[in-house]
Amino acid sequence: MQGFIDLLNKVMPDLLQGTVVTLQIAVVSLALGMIIGLPVGVGRVYGPAWLQRLLGAYITLFQGTPLLIQLFMVYYGLPDIGITLGRLQAAFLTLGLNSAAYQAEYLRSALQSVSEGQMVAARAIGMSKWQAIWSIILPQAVRLALPAWSNEAVAMLKYTSVVFLIAVPDLMGQAKILASRYFAPIQIYLIVAVFYIVLVGVTYLILTTIERRVRIPGLTGDAA
Amino acid sequence: MKKQMLVIPALIAVILAISACGGTPAAQPTQPPAQPTQPAAPAEGKLAQIRAAGKLIVGTSADYPPYESIDANGNFVGFDMDLIRAIGEKLGVEVEIRDMPFDSLIASLQEGKIDAVIAAMQATAERDEKVDFTIPYRMTKDAFIGAGNTTIIMTKPEDAAGLTIGVQTGTVQEGWIQKNLVAKGLTPADKVFSYERADQAALDLASGRLQLVLMDAEPALELAKQNGLKVLLVTETTAEGGKSIAIPEGASDLKAELDRIIQGLIDDGTVKALEEKHGLP
Repeated sequence: MQGFIDLLNKVMPDLLQGTVVTLQIAVVSLALGMIIGLPVGVGRVYGPAWLQRLLGAYITLFQGTPLLIQLFMVYYGLPDIGITLGRLQAAFLTLGLNSAAYQAEYLRSALQSVSEGQMVAARAIGMSKWQAIWSIILPQAVRLALPAWSNEAVAMLKYTSVVFLIAVPDLMGQAKILASRYFAPIQIYLIVAVFYIVLVGVTYLILTTIERRVRIPGLTGDAA
Repeated sequence: MKKQMLVIPALIAVILAISACGGTPAAQPTQPPAQPTQPAAPAEGKLAQIRAAGKLIVGTSADYPPYESIDANGNFVGFDMDLIRAIGEKLGVEVEIRDMPFDSLIASLQEGKIDAVIAAMQATAERDEKVDFTIPYRMTKDAFIGAGNTTIIMTKPEDAAGLTIGVQTGTVQEGWIQKNLVAKGLTPADKVFSYERADQAALDLASGRLQLVLMDAEPALELAKQNGLKVLLVTETTAEGGKSIAIPEGASDLKAELDRIIQGLIDDGTVKALEEKHGLP
């Protein structure tokens, strides 16, 4: 036990630094995914046919290929056509585009579950199609999408663990370096697993609170 | 909800308990060394035996050019092969080379089927328990490489101070950089990048994300040739260990004689000439 506590003291500063990097990547990628995913989701449902197909292709591309390949293409592939991104930018962009594809799909199913009668009614009182989407449909759809979106946030925290492969010193990257420095891979990966569980647990609690706060009785059911 | 909040501390407790068990290997009794499968030939007087037979039987694994391989005519060629023949000449005996899989070399030596092993082998602690090793005949070397158009000039490893550098995770090179550049404040920690593979780090030289990569010299030279990178410095300072000849455990007279011959071949430039002949850094 004493040996374990000594090890814990030695690795803690590096693991905390890695945690900051992991959180930074998760937060920026989720935000980027939302900024891209929202219009993509709306476009998938209400856009013209050619746009729906185009966005469908984008979603298939990112949902249908391994995240690791996407990361390597962005980091090692883009320099070949003259676009050289930094490590963090490459991580943000890849995870952001990947997350946007999933977030767009969550939003699409939520948009489609708002009854069509509401659109007809909104048009009948003189709203344009986009006004109806923005003011009537979307506020309901975002709330309906929130539980699925919470899963995405939790998944993102763990997806970030691939970025050590492009030498980003995230929690996983630090774990690998420390594991070989102290020749204690099992102990260090267990410590890191606890770090991830705590991060995911806290994220889960925050999102559940938000879900409950923005709940509309009768629309989204009893969130608790 | 309530239940889930209890699960997390419980899990943490379980994980801590498990890892605590794994954390005290020193408390476990160490295993007794494995007994040799059959009594080894008397190792003492090995040198006299070899001289009497007029023949040194050497095992190798001839699949590792430029150290050892078999040419189109079926001859053993390579750096190690030339070296062991030079050693045989000094010893005054004929050298007979036997080819076998790398992982059966040590066992063959223990069973007395061969007198020595030369196979670009490093004297690891694990191997050292089973057989003895001569002094290294060739030290491991590392290379600093840069992009093809780099203007960096290096004369010693410390010239890397302050530059953006890539290494492979868990390697001796990573350890050297951390200990000699980062810990001494010569290079900021955020300028050292640990890659899963050294060739991925080399890819980042061309894109300009790294200024230097430090890695094993032999693959470095190959990578540099294939990708138009520049070798800036080849050094022993950052590396650890070297390649040695394995001999039977306890053959102290043979070890003394081989050590003396190897040192002589290093000192008179034979080893260096052979390295150059086979294109080794």
